[in-house]
Amino acid sequence: MRTNQEYLIRYKDGNLYCELADIWIDPSKPVKKALITHAHFDHFTFGCEEYISTKETAILLKERVGDIIKIKTFEYGEEFKINGINISFHPSGHILGSSQIRFNFAEEKWLISGDFKLQKDETCKQYEIVKTDYLISECTFGLPIFKWDESNKIANDISKWITNSPEKTSLLFCYSLGKAQRLLNEINNTNFKGKIYSHGSIHKMNNSYRELGIDIKDTIKIENKKKIDELKGSLILLPPSLSKGTYLKNFKNIQTAFASGWMSIRALRKRSGYDKGFAISDHADWDGILEVVKKSEAKNVFFHHGDSEAISKYLVEKESINVLFFGK
Amino acid sequence: MSLKKFSELFVDLDSSNSTNNKIEVLKNYFFSNDPIDNSWAIYLLTGKSNKRFISGRYLKNLFSQIYEYPLWLIDTCYLKVGDSAEVITLLLKNKSTSRKKELSNISLNELLSKTIPDLSKLNEEEKNLQIKNIWERLPEDYHLIFNKILTGTFRVGVSIGLITKSISKLINIDEEIISHRLMGNFKPSIYSYEFLINKNINLEELNSKPFPFLLANTIEDKIFKNSINDFQFEWKYDGIRLQLIKRSGNISLWTRGQELVNESFPELVEKMSHIKDDFVLDGELLVWNFKEQIAFDFSLLQKRINRKSPTRSIQIKYPIIFIAYDLLEINGRDIREIKLENRRIELEKYFSKWQNKTENNISDIFKICDLIFPNDWPDALTYKEKSRENNTEGLIIKKKTSIYSSGRKKGIWWKYKVDPMQLDAVLIYAKGGSGRRAGLYTDYSFALWKDEELIKFASAYSGLTNIEIKELDKWIRKNTIEKFGPVRSLKPEMVFEISFEKIQISKRHKSGIAVRFPRITKWRKDKKINDADSLGNAYELMKKIS
Repeated sequence: MRTNQEYLIRYKDGNLYCELADIWIDPSKPVKKALITHAHFDHFTFGCEEYISTKETAILLKERVGDIIKIKTFEYGEEFKINGINISFHPSGHILGSSQIRFNFAEEKWLISGDFKLQKDETCKQYEIVKTDYLISECTFGLPIFKWDESNKIANDISKWITNSPEKTSLLFCYSLGKAQRLLNEINNTNFKGKIYSHGSIHKMNNSYRELGIDIKDTIKIENKKKIDELKGSLILLPPSLSKGTYLKNFKNIQTAFASGWMSIRALRKRSGYDKGFAISDHADWDGILEVVKKSEAKNVFFHHGDSEAISKYLVEKESINVLFFGK
Repeated sequence: MSLKKFSELFVDLDSSNSTNNKIEVLKNYFFSNDPIDNSWAIYLLTGKSNKRFISGRYLKNLFSQIYEYPLWLIDTCYLKVGDSAEVITLLLKNKSTSRKKELSNISLNELLSKTIPDLSKLNEEEKNLQIKNIWERLPEDYHLIFNKILTGTFRVGVSIGLITKSISKLINIDEEIISHRLMGNFKPSIYSYEFLINKNINLEELNSKPFPFLLANTIEDKIFKNSINDFQFEWKYDGIRLQLIKRSGNISLWTRGQELVNESFPELVEKMSHIKDDFVLDGELLVWNFKEQIAFDFSLLQKRINRKSPTRSIQIKYPIIFIAYDLLEINGRDIREIKLENRRIELEKYFSKWQNKTENNISDIFKICDLIFPNDWPDALTYKEKSRENNTEGLIIKKKTSIYSSGRKKGIWWKYKVDPMQLDAVLIYAKGGSGRRAGLYTDYSFALWKDEELIKFASAYSGLTNIEIKELDKWIRKNTIEKFGPVRSLKPEMVFEISFEKIQISKRHKSGIAVRFPRITKWRKDKKINDADSLGNAYELMKKIS
């Protein structure tokens, strides 16, 4: 067995790092070279000398943080070399532009799953099965209690939730990049035909998606001091950061909901303080993670993000798959 | 009417934080369903006597067995979810192979009066098979309700008050009447629901039932602005609140939890039945120290509460007394609308009559509460401070001109409790919470110093704000020394102020002491573990009090 230092990719200071290429994956502190799997802020940090990502991720990032960062982009599947190591991006199905990253060196293949999902999502490319020897997978929802419903079922539930309370303004909280656009896309196919408003941060991302060729339903940017009557019976998409504090005082007679995978657990739903929870996620559920592990044909699997104890033990016991752990 | 409706009701109630919304939802449900299902719905929602048919553990084992699923994995899931019925529901998703859902139209009544009770008639093997059958034939949306009923854990954020309000709105009858009809054992049946919504108010039917209890509020400063003469002062006893009812010669003892407890206290029933008048008394049941004329500790009362038909020797060993503090009805006349000061006069008048005219001596089991007469508010405070000496919890302060209304109405009765006792202790263990607190470490154990060692002395899980709970949870995860199942032992670093009501010697605990109602009152971030109290301090506290 190899020691931690001998793996092509390892954990260093809490981040994934490839020493031979001297490159970091989604680092949480400034480094020289950073591969970015997708444009969510928990995967990005300011101050790196050079970023490398897919074209879509680069555009979304620049839209969010400004033109000040230097990003080199590659197409999905396009191989590039760093210090003799072949690297390529592959769709991970998480959000627009999101990718898995493959490393290929001396007959050994490594795959970093990035954040991924297998479920249908018309706003981004479908997850691509990539064969590998070593897999580093996320496991945000690595317990069998997480099993996602079809997204159109959730969208219909949301539609019903709004139309059953025509006197109310329905505030749906969701992440402004990815989740919001996926929801808009799905809600478009439901019976809800009322007005949809979105917060500025979401509105901006909608426009970026459209510019990148994704068909997103037109929404009205929510202005402060909208006439209350006008909002009755309509849907407003807001980022979760606005759910606490005084922002909600701008509205009257509201009902609130949060769209997140965590909402499948009643205790979390109750504790969240929202009236309702819709369990829809851009991460893989338990079955999704297992499917990727199996289809990747990886002989060795690492997990990061989330509680990996249970899924590791399960794979070892039930599927006889070798699960490895990074040293600290 | 099907289980479907009830399932939807559950979801609606569960996904609303607005009281008005819930009342509206309930009202619509009762309006559109048949009486028998309505009666079951009320039975379930009030959670009065939710019976456990099988345990959560049994359910988990069964699932593990049927679907060849590792039990440890189910247990890990439980730590996140905090409810066995819900864990199994989530795991059951997409498990069923049969497409046909023969049970999709099952009524709430059939499920509760037949399908589930019938399980108890089967042997274990048949029972397991039948539960599996139900899982497969029941639509997934109803699994949670089924599993929760099975494990006796059906609960949703609805109080009896909300049900009372919604029924009252539905049929336009005073809440008091509905509340009265809902008291005691509500047995699900067409008859019980129709009785509940009957527009004719039949006094005879209400005969054995207690009045809704009037509850005291925690004291507020504004009361001190009033004249002391506006109030009646009593000791606050730490016993069981009871309404003692004698109507048409029959005695019934009702607790505030709406349980009839005649069987636990037969000597009281016997003695009181010698009184000639009919009446409804409100008061406190205690185990009484007749020598010193004070109450014994609540722990002695506990030895009587759950024991039905106590033997003669138990009755002698733990002698009870009923201390009445209010008279609500006398010979069929409801006097709750009379002012408290006048009810007190009636109470005293009848008590002395009963003492003199009843054949058997009743005063060894029944008395009326003494009143206290402080000169001014500081004097009242002095009384309050003395309340530990006579084993009471403080004072009850009642407005003399008040009527006996129902519930926790503001400004009528106040409780003025003795300040709690406190010790600073070190957090040493944490355990995952359940239910609403699932997935967080919210059950804590605290220790005091004994020489160089920290000895566990109390466990507490209330008192922190949600923000503090999250902060502490993070700290716990980072500072775990060892895990034993759901329990983590922690680096001794955090000091908390623990308040409690009572402290006494206990051989069962390693520390040698036991405290009652321990709770966290402050996170002492300003203190280091060496500043925490020792067991010696605890013993001193105990000495000071006794």
